Amino acid sequence: MKDKILKNRYTLLGTALSVYVLVLVLEGALTGRQHEWWLIDNSLLEMDLRQAIDMGNIDVDF
Amino acid sequence: MNNFMLSQFITLLRREVSEHKNLFIWAPVVLGLLIFVVDFLIINALTEVDKARAVEWLARYFDGGNPVDMSAVFVFHTLPFMLILHFCAILYLNTTLYQDRRDSSILFWQSMPVSNLATVISKVVAITAIAPLFYVAVIFVLYAVGILWLIFSGMALGIDVSGLGYMFISAVWSLPVVYLFALTSAIWLLPMVGWLLLFSAFANRTPLIWAIGVLVLLLFLEGFIFDTQFLSNWIQTRSDPDNFIIVEYGGLMDRLFSYDMFIGIVVGSILIAGAVYMRRFID
Amino acid sequence: MENIVHARGLTKLYGNFKALDNVDLDIPQGAISGLIGPNGAGKTTTLKALIGLCDVEGELEVAGRDPRGARHKLMEDVCFIADVGILPKWLKVRQILDYVAGVHPRFDRSKAEKFLATTEIPVNKRVKELSKGMVTQLHLAVVMAIEVRLLVLDEPTLGLDIIYRKEFYDRLLNDFYDGDRTIIISTHQVEEIEALLSHLIFINKGKIVLNSMMSDLAEIYTEVVVAPDQTQQAEALKPIHIRKLLGKSCYTFESVPRVQLEGLGELYTPSVADLFVAKLKDHRDE
Repeated sequence: MKDKILKNRYTLLGTALSVYVLVLVLEGALTGRQHEWWLIDNSLLEMDLRQAIDMGNIDVDF
Repeated sequence: MNNFMLSQFITLLRREVSEHKNLFIWAPVVLGLLIFVVDFLIINALTEVDKARAVEWLARYFDGGNPVDMSAVFVFHTLPFMLILHFCAILYLNTTLYQDRRDSSILFWQSMPVSNLATVISKVVAITAIAPLFYVAVIFVLYAVGILWLIFSGMALGIDVSGLGYMFISAVWSLPVVYLFALTSAIWLLPMVGWLLLFSAFANRTPLIWAIGVLVLLLFLEGFIFDTQFLSNWIQTRSDPDNFIIVEYGGLMDRLFSYDMFIGIVVGSILIAGAVYMRRFID
Repeated sequence: MENIVHARGLTKLYGNFKALDNVDLDIPQGAISGLIGPNGAGKTTTLKALIGLCDVEGELEVAGRDPRGARHKLMEDVCFIADVGILPKWLKVRQILDYVAGVHPRFDRSKAEKFLATTEIPVNKRVKELSKGMVTQLHLAVVMAIEVRLLVLDEPTLGLDIIYRKEFYDRLLNDFYDGDRTIIISTHQVEEIEALLSHLIFINKGKIVLNSMMSDLAEIYTEVVVAPDQTQQAEALKPIHIRKLLGKSCYTFESVPRVQLEGLGELYTPSVADLFVAKLKDHRDE
């Protein structure tokens, strides 16, 4: 098995990428990951872009 | 890890710094000089009265304040340095396992009893933990020179500058945070580190195009074949700016011990392992 | 005497091209072995396989290890100089010494510095500022200061001035070689190293054509300058090669006892260069 994976650079890349995608897909499926890009939450500020756009004005908490 | 492995590893780190002085040392120095010159020009454009008022305001603002609370401002001001550091890191990771195959110097490196694992890990450590040290050193010099200059200007204008002492302590207090900020971002981005290293080791030409091209291809394929968005979500989470704007210890701790950080380390390690094995394909 | 290199059935394919075709090799410890072959014969592939830089099929053991396993462990006992000019160009001479001292457990820095002191190499210059000959001197200085059991040299003097070339082999023999260490040199300039060798390997088109100690050559190979009236008898003994020499014919024989050849003319042991040509153009294969 190791010989097949390490046969040449292409097989190794293929294997590495397959494992990578597999892990991510499994992780995404298991955790129900969804990225909520409209939420901003860091050390400086916290806001919800959707709310801000809906209300037509920006509501910001520092 | 015995003594020899440790001293060998340190030698490897020193090699990385010597080999990439431009990225590790000159980039932050040039940026620091640039910022200093720009600030100098701006301040010189002010009238004497405005200058005095500015210094006075600063002295009073920082006077008696808790340096810990005030240091956030200083961390924030290092964002240009952090941007440059990330940019340099991408350049570094992209070329570091590629360049020595291009100029055949890999035949020298491989004639030494240094394992592929040690080689790749030394590069990861060099860019994530060692490079920020140089950047922080430049930032320190910049802050020190800047504040000293304010102090002397203030004294010349007859202002009580004792508050600026607090400002200096705040600035110094921010430095470990800046370093940890850089280190934490790097660990957060371990998947990207691994991705770049993998293609740096794989490609015989244009590693950056491979790295970007394959990513775009995978994103497209996932949507096309499975009609899912896991990869896209993953990348969005990873690159969310929220994870980079950290200005205090509290924010760091949250990030450091989160599930997302953990899974990132796992995925990054898979890609880095791929890069290590990829090193054996020289021709 | 144990063998420092033991290889059986080494094969390397690049697509359909057989760079190595079922290569068997045994190189005794303490030998100075020459790997001779025309360009593209598989010299570099063989040497790379020995030092773990090229994946090959077959059985392979070098200095007690399989190079395809932990290459870096093998590099503690083995070192190589692959072609001129692989030293990193941006490194200063001093930095190379720093680096090797820091990563190699068997490097004696003072030895390397003593060697360098006898050259004209300035310690603070970068490799890219040195001439080709100096780069080779530097590389040799470093390699000779390491306690290796086997040194592999792939065309180490390619493109160098004769003075640097002579000095290279001089140093190699006098300062490095101690009877215990093994040296394997590949070259297509046979005449240059002929006198140094104790072991000889010919390779052509990925196949080993000859593998013998120099001392055994005289027993196996004989050259005869045959008078024109004896040519028929000479040909009956199946020479491996015939060439014209100043109007007469020179026949090369393999494994034919000298007693059988005595009547045909003057007998010589072929030089390595002539033997090389003879083996490559072996008539009996046709």
